Amino acid sequence: MAHAIAPVPGSTTMELALKIWRYNAETGAKELRRYEVEAPDWATLLDVLDIVKDKHDGTLAYRKSCRMMICGSCGMRMDGAAVLACKTRMWDIAQSGHEPVISPMGNLPVVKDLVVDMSPFWGKIRAVKPWLEPGYDEVAEKERIVSQQQMNVIHKEALCIMCGCCVSECNSMESDPEFLGPAALAKGFRFVGDARDQTAPERLSDLNSEHGIWDCTRCYFCNERCPKGVDPRDAIAKLGAESIKEGIDHDMGAKHAKWFVTSAKTTGWLRETELVPKTQGIVSAIKQTKFALGLAKRGKVPPPVPPHVADRVKESRALYNLVKEQGRDGALGIVQGEHALGRIEFTEEAGVRELAPELQPGVEPPHAEG
Amino acid sequence: MEAKHDVLVIGAGCAGMRAAIEAHDAGADVALLSKIHPVRSHSGAAEGGINAALGNASDDSPEEHAFDTVKGSDYLGDQDAIQILCDEAPDDVYQLENWGAVFSRTEDGRIAQRPFGAAGEPRTAYAADITGHVLVHVLYEQVMKRDIPTYEEYFAWRLVMNDDRCQGVIAWDLLHGGLKSIGAKTVILATGGAGRLYVGTTNAYACTGDGMAMALRVGVALKDMEMMQFHPTTLAPTGVLITEGCRGEGAYLLNSENDRFLKRYAPNAMELASRDVISRAEQTEIDEGRGVEGNVLLDLRHLGADRILERLHGTRELSMTFAGVDPIYEPIPVRPGAHYHMGGVDADVWGQTSVTGLYAAGECACVSVHGANRLGGNALMETITFGKRAGRHAADWALSHTTVEVPRSTETDAARDLKQLLERTEGERPWSIRDELATTMHENFGVFRREEQMQEQGEIVARLRERYERVVVDDKGDVFNSDLTQALELGFLLELADCMVVSGIARKESRGAHARPDDFPSRDDEHYMKHTIVRVEDDRPQLEWRDVTMTKWQPQERKY
Repeated sequence: MAHAIAPVPGSTTMELALKIWRYNAETGAKELRRYEVEAPDWATLLDVLDIVKDKHDGTLAYRKSCRMMICGSCGMRMDGAAVLACKTRMWDIAQSGHEPVISPMGNLPVVKDLVVDMSPFWGKIRAVKPWLEPGYDEVAEKERIVSQQQMNVIHKEALCIMCGCCVSECNSMESDPEFLGPAALAKGFRFVGDARDQTAPERLSDLNSEHGIWDCTRCYFCNERCPKGVDPRDAIAKLGAESIKEGIDHDMGAKHAKWFVTSAKTTGWLRETELVPKTQGIVSAIKQTKFALGLAKRGKVPPPVPPHVADRVKESRALYNLVKEQGRDGALGIVQGEHALGRIEFTEEAGVRELAPELQPGVEPPHAEG
Repeated sequence: MEAKHDVLVIGAGCAGMRAAIEAHDAGADVALLSKIHPVRSHSGAAEGGINAALGNASDDSPEEHAFDTVKGSDYLGDQDAIQILCDEAPDDVYQLENWGAVFSRTEDGRIAQRPFGAAGEPRTAYAADITGHVLVHVLYEQVMKRDIPTYEEYFAWRLVMNDDRCQGVIAWDLLHGGLKSIGAKTVILATGGAGRLYVGTTNAYACTGDGMAMALRVGVALKDMEMMQFHPTTLAPTGVLITEGCRGEGAYLLNSENDRFLKRYAPNAMELASRDVISRAEQTEIDEGRGVEGNVLLDLRHLGADRILERLHGTRELSMTFAGVDPIYEPIPVRPGAHYHMGGVDADVWGQTSVTGLYAAGECACVSVHGANRLGGNALMETITFGKRAGRHAADWALSHTTVEVPRSTETDAARDLKQLLERTEGERPWSIRDELATTMHENFGVFRREEQMQEQGEIVARLRERYERVVVDDKGDVFNSDLTQALELGFLLELADCMVVSGIARKESRGAHARPDDFPSRDDEHYMKHTIVRVEDDRPQLEWRDVTMTKWQPQERKY
């Protein structure tokens, strides 16, 4: 994670300019307007917008509330990428002299300036039945017994603040506005992965329908732009893994994924020739014969017989068996991997830091005299 | 009238949503109305946890919880209300868990509980350091499940009084523009606090005391308004909250001499003393020159990376983003900041106010369970327990009464007043008044209070109110006119500031958050174990006193 390198708060001010896409809902007029402001050194993008609204133009519209990255109000784009305005410190940008362009989030209708209509967003959240289905109505006498480890399965998804940054950046939604999208699917996994929910198979079945999990193009923009580390694409992967584990594999996407596994297990390679019929079915594959022949003519298709078997295919099979034996198929395997990766990332980051010399962890600091 | 309901809940944070769920389940036609989307509510910024004597981490009892709360309140809390809170808390927390709240867990899979300030037992149930976030989302899930209609981004401006009872609200529709009147047999105010009165505050921009001011304007009293809690660990410069959970997990507070200075202020509880005690200690250290650039240091390093990453992940994120400090390696500079209003709309243990049909719950209400100082973890609990109770009572009342009417004249008056504000073109824009109010309140009505400063603040507020009469709104449009709503919010804040200063000057003692080190340094139970009650008459706050309700706990000297 990048560290904001700024002087001691309040010690100085900075001058910066920014351009904001203004949109007047009443007239439909659009205009990129430039503002020059003086701001305290610690200012975030949200603070800068406040200065513009206070001192330059009271008609500027944007949402804000907590200014501490938890309410999810202030999602918008800076230089084309979704950010939370309150999380974006401006010092480095001001020093570089760059003039950022601020615009509303993508994939949602603009209401005014930086305010978008969030109702399509919430419609999709509702579509995943976002509430716990514990399988009974009355309140249990006490809490359900669930281990921390089980709770950790949905830890990242529970961090979601519904800001819409992932949806703004979703390439799949851009081409198919009906696609459920990263936020709703992450919410979906929050319940599928909850040990207390009794309806995982039904939920998975719903999420496997049209516009569901297999429509994700895996561009990873949602992971990249999520300000809270929810990693919606990983949640979608977990839903995929759980679906296959549960035998819900009617979608072409699931069949495609399964064939990758089968072919790696059997030959250690991807058996591309069989990929199309295994994914789309024989009939559909026959329709594409002409295309396949064209590919073959240009040497793009390896001959199907004899199958090309990798030298050390046993390793690939052993790996497959290990995952099965240890019960690491399904979402849990991905979750465990995430935790391991989190440790590695932290340790790498820590490698360049040194503990402050005057105090050591675990040791109470010396008391001053008096 | 655009619509009518049995119950209308204004504000959709924890208290509001919990009230709406309860009213719905009691069979009422209930709607939520909020100036921001429910999950944007500031309840979501609560970090450390929610107090209930579940007994998962030690032997604990509602009785012990109640005693800690009474003592924490510096004996200004009403003991009957505190008993209700502590008795109902465990089941209310189980209910949240049953709805799906993602609580952190003990080794044996039960809800984990951590130590918190001024609590005799580890009583604070938590979800890492995002407890409020988890609760707001689980409540919103239940609101969606019940399909409770929600007037999203409706700015509540005026309560509708008709036939001597409250029958709805007039609100500005932010997205589309225009005043809308929503009728209701009962109205529950759940609009949260007014931390925006201060320049350094943990509170969101939305926390402008709207419900308190609206109630005041229809003749309801505000109670204990001088009692504004300063949280000991907020980040410079704007007051972003660093959770008490850090100290619950074992963090130290250090001064510039690397000294755990609390040993001189609270030798037994140290960093887990009550918030008022620690904020005063910090302010004293800073004032006496042992601060670090206006802060003290919150040291988490000895907790180790694993614990910080698992339980204080959000804190690390906030420190790194807003202070450029990674708490695994460096202490976090912190200082006291305005955090929570113990005072608020005078309400009983069912949330009822003196106006029939009008209820209040959560931070905007003063029941009073927090008295002069709230314990960390009791605010979330209050929102749930008293939100539920208000929802239940309001629904029962509404279901046994039939009529709702918003008088035409109320609508036309509101429209006329708003038009007058929007048509004004010459004058001052609100932001300079807002900034001056927040700076001077911090300076003159902060951790320590002094007679002459409070008097001065009274005069400042009066001048600011005069200037406010002539403010100009830049934006004349209908769509998302936040320029207009921010101006209306400032009007609310100014009236509340007036009430706070009047109450503060009158309380000639030091109790909880109200500390007068120069002239009245100690508590005076004989004269002031009483609530301040403020009403507005002839445009001026009028003060009365009301005895604290005592059941079994006699006041004692308060030491930690």
